[in-house]
Amino acid sequence: MPQPDPDAFDHDAALAACARGDRAALRRLYEHEGRYLLGVALRIVRDRATAEDVLHDAFMNIWTRADTFDARRGAGRGWMYGIVRHRALDAVRSGARTVSADEDRLDALQAEDPPAAPDMAEAFALRADLGRLDDCLARLDTPKRNCVLFAYLDGCTHGEIAERLGAPLGSVKAWIRRGLASLRECLA
Amino acid sequence: MTAHDPIDELASAYVLGTLSAEGRREVQSRLPTDAALRDAVDGWEGRLLPLTALVEAVEPSPSLWARIERGIAPRRAPTQASAWQTWWSSLGFWRAVAATGFVAASVVALLPSTGLFAPAAPQYMVVLVAPNGTAPGWVVQTSGADSLRLVPLGTTAVPEQRSLQFWTKADDWNAPVSLGLVQPGQPLEVKLDQLPPLVPNQLFEITLEPYNGSPTGRPTGPILYIGRAVKLT
Repeated sequence: MPQPDPDAFDHDAALAACARGDRAALRRLYEHEGRYLLGVALRIVRDRATAEDVLHDAFMNIWTRADTFDARRGAGRGWMYGIVRHRALDAVRSGARTVSADEDRLDALQAEDPPAAPDMAEAFALRADLGRLDDCLARLDTPKRNCVLFAYLDGCTHGEIAERLGAPLGSVKAWIRRGLASLRECLA
Repeated sequence: MTAHDPIDELASAYVLGTLSAEGRREVQSRLPTDAALRDAVDGWEGRLLPLTALVEAVEPSPSLWARIERGIAPRRAPTQASAWQTWWSSLGFWRAVAATGFVAASVVALLPSTGLFAPAAPQYMVVLVAPNGTAPGWVVQTSGADSLRLVPLGTTAVPEQRSLQFWTKADDWNAPVSLGLVQPGQPLEVKLDQLPPLVPNQLFEITLEPYNGSPTGRPTGPILYIGRAVKLT
């Protein structure tokens, strides 16, 4: 975890306080998570001003929706990261950073079976503190792992990943599909 | 390998981020009512969340919290103070106004020959700046006695399902009046024939509102740009 000690801060309690109109609680959430959330947004939108807009809007959202946060559906910390990531993704998708209009047609032209790409370099340094996810990612072969991480962390479309990896679009889609299926099974 | 489950596959693509804008809108519109999809999305959010630990932290600008604080101030205020009133009494606002006057002077100098400032009626110019910034975002020019033109100087990122709304208020009005919704990056012509003539120092602002505009007829969202009318002699 990027936080020095995530257990020391009670996100759920702070969100409950936000729902009661306690602005200091939102400030505590911001001070505790703001720099990590901005990092997440910036990786996706790749523009400092846009990332700050995303974080601003996400905190407006966290404030107004704090009373709808349901701890039974997941922890408050993850709920906040979800809001920031999806705002950032909405911003880049609707802003059409890279639109591959012909993606589906191209896809149809690609071979269904992806190449093994045994020589592909690791694009990300993994860290052991990801918990079980780290073990599960380690079991994926490199192309699948790269695809999942480019998509989740960098907000890449299938087309952008294909470009980065120099791989056919169909392969990227298949790697992602199989990578996610493996992760799901491994984490079950 | 688990059985092919279209809902789970859609949820995983949504959380991973590979869906198109259209695909994302579809998922977002189904989430409130589709419990199976919601559960699948929650599952994937939880599975992949640890990956965020791989991202380097980035320190936000010092002004960002102030901007957030301004945005949240009016909503839960016990007196139902509008964003307008809260903002009116804030120090940041008056700083912005001071900055606006400064910027207006420099922009006027750039527009000597546009022909918009015919001597017949009093002409005004407004430069709208972000409340915490000095960079102009929009310019308002009067174009005749009873209309004005809002001109973008750049693009404004507007979140999905939100809109920009344009407002004005003279000093002796009780509340701002909507001049309509604004498309980011697009100029807007506004007829003022239903309003009193412009006066010096009249305020203009653009706020972030729900997609169909403020439901209350008053600004409800954060102020993105603000400025005062400057009379051009």
